[in-house]
Parts: sequence; structure tokens; C-alpha cells
Amino acid sequence: MTTSVRSSDEAARREAFFHPALFYGTENEYLDGLGAFVRGALDDGQSVLVAVPGVRLPLLQDALADDRERVTWVDMTEAGRNPGRILSMLQEFADRQEAATPVSIVGEPIWVGRTPAETWEATRHEALINLAFEGRRASILCPYDTALPEDVLAQAYRTHPVVGAPGDYRASSRYADPHEVCRDCDVPLPEPADAVVVPFGEQDLASTRDEADRWAAAAGLSPARRTDWLLAVSEGVSNSVRHGGGSGTLRMWRAGGGLVAEISDRGRLDDPLTGRRRPDPYAPTGGRGVWIMHQLCDLVEIRATARELVLRLHMRAD
Amino acid sequence: MVVVSEATALPARVSTAGRHSSVVVSDDRQWARHLCGFVRSGLDRGEQVQYFADTTAPERVLRTLADAGIDATAAVTRGQLAVPVAAQTYLAGAAFDPDAMIGLWHDAVDAAFARGHRGLRVIGEMSWGVRGAVGADRLLEYELRLHQEVFERLPLTAWCLYDRRLLPDAYVNLLAGAHLTHRGDPVAEPTLHVAPLADRVGFLMSGSAGYDTRDAVAAVAAAVRGTSAPRVEMDLTALRHLDAASLAVLADAAAGRPGGAGLHVRQPPPSLERLLELFPALGSVMEVVGR
Repeated sequence: MTTSVRSSDEAARREAFFHPALFYGTENEYLDGLGAFVRGALDDGQSVLVAVPGVRLPLLQDALADDRERVTWVDMTEAGRNPGRILSMLQEFADRQEAATPVSIVGEPIWVGRTPAETWEATRHEALINLAFEGRRASILCPYDTALPEDVLAQAYRTHPVVGAPGDYRASSRYADPHEVCRDCDVPLPEPADAVVVPFGEQDLASTRDEADRWAAAAGLSPARRTDWLLAVSEGVSNSVRHGGGSGTLRMWRAGGGLVAEISDRGRLDDPLTGRRRPDPYAPTGGRGVWIMHQLCDLVEIRATARELVLRLHMRAD
Repeated sequence: MVVVSEATALPARVSTAGRHSSVVVSDDRQWARHLCGFVRSGLDRGEQVQYFADTTAPERVLRTLADAGIDATAAVTRGQLAVPVAAQTYLAGAAFDPDAMIGLWHDAVDAAFARGHRGLRVIGEMSWGVRGAVGADRLLEYELRLHQEVFERLPLTAWCLYDRRLLPDAYVNLLAGAHLTHRGDPVAEPTLHVAPLADRVGFLMSGSAGYDTRDAVAAVAAAVRGTSAPRVEMDLTALRHLDAASLAVLADAAAGRPGGAGLHVRQPPPSLERLLELFPALGSVMEVVGR
């Protein structure tokens, strides 16, 4: 059963957090739905961020005509390549506005062609939006292509308190607690066929960094990407020593034209929002390491259980 | 900050070559050879010589000198040689304090000149550094600051004696590496090698900096924060990797410098520049040069 949220309530929803999923099947539905949302926000004098796949940006910009200049545009296939870094971007945009000023965001983190692994992490991101923006004056519209697999669309009903289209938003009867959704996103990770295994403790951190760098060089990663790889792995193994029981295991393997580093330890991830907000660079705690990993990697898969924390860092070769 | 006494301040830069050395030994024969050569040379030059003992009994030091044909007793009698115990002298306070120590060196050189000696040379046994003395964690900071704050200003020769039998290898490698001159047993390159720069005010970091080297990075940061020179350089030419925490510690030190004088970073590794892209705020207190 759904409860209708008619447009008469839309003024009221601007006063609170509003996170609808918009399902579209055609280009016109896409343009109509997003156009109405953006124009309404601009009419209210709000700051607007549109982060959607770059291929769709020209369509939207043309549809908005002169208003395009008043919108911040982001190609989600780049900025949101790793779903784990999208939330930081959204919060940073919202934080740049005056505290009492509502903001409106279009965020399309899942598109046709996303891999299943990326889609699970993007679904986790969608759930975490509800925690990160709870109580804030923000509207975040998430378009979903109805050509996406059924199970992906089903998750959108669980991660969005509201679903529908302009003028016909309804409370989602399947909306689920974000923590529950995150747990459900912890699907089993496939085992690699051939991984290099490097157990480490604090005394091995330097040799582990060197081993990760050498292995990535031998695997053909470019110098620029190797810098990112080494920074990310360094943060991961340091976190294991600091927060994960003093030791951990690094595994590295090739996959899909890129490289994967997996860091596992006995740590816990008590706050699922860790690393999803730009940290104070001077603060020794506060998710700086996880945030860096999200920024530098093309995908970060997180699996947190009562006994183990696993981070899989994916790095494309290009 | 240390105020340099006019009486002992040198009018221009004096050669510091070899005057602040690490000496690493692993047996009594090596120890005696370095001890006797150092003391004999100082006595011959008319300098005052002091041996700050930690685990070695002063009587044994004097006996070893006498066995080598050095008239240690006469030198002690005329005030040219002393073998004090560190715990009763510079370690007698509540905590080892680099600022106080640097001040003491200026006083000690003044005193040596006042007594008619032509200089001061000192050996210090450094084994106390791993026994948990309060402030011992600042020893590396102290070693890094000595070059600029003491040896560039005073006619002092000092050897820091590291005995492998009493100290872990990693500790010896790091501490001995923080000297511009080294004698005795060769030392391996530590994970992160830190040292003062010989020809400029600043410090060198080479190797790889991460969570495991945080204490060394903190020591460099403390030395950066403590120096009063208007320009301080960090030479990172041979640094392969620097993590975010290390960069933050260095940036924090740079931000805390008097007058916000900042830090000049020479040829940093790609990781540093990548981190500055992620955290532009850290770049506001440092200037990258040489790349």
C-alpha cells in the first residue's frame, strides 16, 4: 500500500528532508521529471546540483535553457565512478550553502551498465543518504531507468522514503531502515582465483607498502595510478594496524583489466558513514583513511561483520 | 629558542664537518679505540673533554684511557677531562628536554673557554634512550636540531655513542642516521631516514613514511616547529612515499612556525602532490620547489 504525497504538499517537503526515487522509461519522462524538480528548486531560489551520467547532461542543459547557468553540473560516471565517494560530494555541496538554506540535488548513482558490484555499493550509498541528510533541509531526487534489472529497481523502493514522479510522489511502503539495507548489501564477495597474499603487522607496514608498489608496477599499472594505488593501500593497511586488531592480510590480484587490493582485519565499522564526508585533514581520526580510499579508487567494496572487516579496493589500469 | 652567547658565538659559519658524529660500536675493543682516539685528540688540542657515561662506570673509562697510555688522572686533576654520569647531570631533571639541552651546550662551551680551554669535545653514551626515561621520545628531535642550533654556532665537537649490544638495530639505524657524520659500525638505511641538511636550514626525509614511521615524522615536525630561521626546507628528493597522516603532521608544524613562515618542500614524491590535490588546505602552509 502506498500513501500519496500530492504536489500540494511539496512546499512543506522543502522544509524537511525529501529523498524521492523517480522511475523513468523514456527520455521525455526523464526530462520532464528532472526539469520540473530543478525548475521548482530554482524558482525557490535554492542552490541546485545535478549529478547524472555525462551523456545525459547536454539534454538537461538544453531543456533548462538560460537556467542552466544557475545549476552545478557533474558527470556522475566520473565523480561517482566509485559510489562510495558520492555522498561526500553531495554533503560538501550542501555544506557550502548557508546553514538554513535548503538545497536540491539530482543524483543518479545507478545507470544501465553499472556492474553488480558497483550497483550494490551504489545501493548502500542510497541508503546512507537517508542517514547523512536526516533532519536537513535537502531534496535529493534519484532517477532510475526502468530498463535496470528488477532487483535493482526493487532496492530503490527500499532506499527511498518516497517514490513516483512530479505531482505524484508517494511514500514507499517498502522503505527499509538504512542499516538493514547496508547489511543486505554485504553480499558474499567472489573469491579470486590467483591472489598474492601478504600478511602484515605494524613491523611489516613498510615492506607491505613496497610489496604493493612493486606488484602493481609488475602488473603494468601506470605511474600515476600507482601513486593512487599505493596511497590507498597504505591507508588501508595502516587502518588495520590502528583499528583492526594490530594486523591484517593484504591480497592482490588482477580482475577485469584492473587491479584489486583486499585488506582484511579484525576491525569493525561501527558507523556506516565513516569516510563519506570530507574529513579535517589534520584530524587523526574521523574517517580520513577511508575517505582517501574512496576518492582514489574506482570502487571500494566494504564488508563488515562482527568478526571481520574487509575492504576491496579496485583500480582500473587507465 | 636558544639565545647564542656573544662570547662563544662564532662570527661566521664555522665548519661543522665531522663535529657531530654518530659512533656505533658492537664490542669493547671498538669502544676503546674510539674513546681513546677522541680523548687523545682533544687533550692534544687543548680542548676540554667530557665523557657522559650511562652504563659504563666512570672508573672503567679512566682505566681504559690509562691503559692506552693517556694520562687521564693528570687531565682530570687539571680540569681538562671529566667523566660525569648522565643520570646525575643532564638526565637528572624531570624530563629530557631538547630546549634545555641546547641551552646547556651554549653554557658548557662558555664555561670551557672561561677556564682557558680552546674548545669543548664530548662523548655521550646514548643507551638511556630506550630505557623509558621521560622525554626520551624527543631524542631524535634533539639530534635533528643540534646541527643548526648548536654546531653551526659553537666550537663544539660531540660524538653520540650507540652501542648495538644495548640498543635495537632499528633504533640505532634511525638515530645514527640523523647525524651528518658517522663512524664505527655501518648502519642500515632505516625505513624512513631523517637528518638535518648540511648546507641549508632544514631537514631531509628519504625512504617511506607511513604509520610505522610516525615517531620519526613527529620528530622532524617538532624540529621544523622549533627552528626560528625564516626559511626551512624539507628535502624529499629520495622520499618514495608519504602518507596523509605524515603530511598533516608536517603541515601542522609548518602552520605553527613563528610568523607563519611556512615550509619549502623540495622534490616531493608524487604521493605528496596527490594528497595536496585532495586536501588543498595542507598546501597553504608549504611551497613545493624543485619540480
